[in-house]
Amino acid sequence: MSTRQDEAERALTELLAERLPRPRAPEALHARLSELVVKQRPSQRWPGVLAGLGAFAAAAAVLLMISRTPAPSENPLLREVVNDHLRVLYAQHPVEIESGGIHQVKPWFSGRLDFAPRVTVEDDPEWPLVGGSISYVLDRKAATFVYTRRLHTISLFVFPDGELPWPQTSPHMLGDVQAQAMTARGYNVLLFKRQDLGYALVSDLSMRELSLLGEKLAAP
Amino acid sequence: MGAKLRVMGPDKAGEALGREALQHVDALYAYAHYLTRDAQRAQDLVQETFARSLASARSFTPGTALKAWLFRIQRNVFLDQRRRETKSPVRGELDAEIVIGVSKDDADYDHLRGIVASEIEAALSALPEPQRSVVLLDLEGFSESEMADVLGCAPGTIKSRLARARAALRELLKEYAR
Repeated sequence: MSTRQDEAERALTELLAERLPRPRAPEALHARLSELVVKQRPSQRWPGVLAGLGAFAAAAAVLLMISRTPAPSENPLLREVVNDHLRVLYAQHPVEIESGGIHQVKPWFSGRLDFAPRVTVEDDPEWPLVGGSISYVLDRKAATFVYTRRLHTISLFVFPDGELPWPQTSPHMLGDVQAQAMTARGYNVLLFKRQDLGYALVSDLSMRELSLLGEKLAAP
Repeated sequence: MGAKLRVMGPDKAGEALGREALQHVDALYAYAHYLTRDAQRAQDLVQETFARSLASARSFTPGTALKAWLFRIQRNVFLDQRRRETKSPVRGELDAEIVIGVSKDDADYDHLRGIVASEIEAALSALPEPQRSVVLLDLEGFSESEMADVLGCAPGTIKSRLARARAALRELLKEYAR
């Protein structure tokens, strides 16, 4: 690189470092974020009670575990997929690629995701595919497929399942596949894994009907 | 054992990560400021970034770069929001890079010395998001591999993208300097 170019680079570096405004976060934002972090803190009440109760420690520990077990509606993954479904419902254009069939939608994801979503419900007249888009499930990208059934919208999110806070509930079988069936904010949710991918189906459709689609998706 | 981990894990992980993440609020906000170009949206973006980070604290690998992880989440949230606001379902690439050849007129660097803060802010804001981001991440002191992680591209492309972004920025700044 020539000397002149070196000097031009240095001048730009100095300009950016010294004169580019770097606004600081407002105090109110700092306060709100600190509050968010504090809310993560486990309650300190119960350990103190346990120490003082001695003989009741074992029983209290059981109560403690139960009391701290997150309710299904509090599970972060469940909360996230319901939020994502609400975004689909509220979006002016819920899909980025409108469907001419699954064979048009699936290739659209290549190059946009670092995994290939495996979706086996193809051109099924009972489950018309509206289209697809990219969304996020917590910290990772997800393929979103939007289906309809009568007047109901169904969102299917497909994402790498590694190290996600998967809820622990009684198994709900979709054929041979073990799923979790839950309800949050009036929406039914089915969560299951196939190989290294996680699947979340969310809709106001009845759980019975949603499971029909779940079984098709979970089928080998 | 499994039940105990479920009970104790998420809260403690979230709080520990959150406390460390609070050290990066100003850096996240400055990045959000240049992503959104709007003070209120920048605040909302940082808050959403925190909410997502805390919710997925268990997927963070201790010992890896927390700041880069937070920046990656924030950029993904921003792109996701912008994508949802886009009116047309199928669109072209919004963020095609400004490609400017290396200027022969490098003596113009002298003009850069007269640039004021508002002009450099405007020039940076005029860059497409990927170029703006790579300049800002470089300023934050991220390594090339960390920048690649934040931007979701191969480490090998960072150097060339940064060079193109800086060349584009220099050309834009020359306009202000005239």
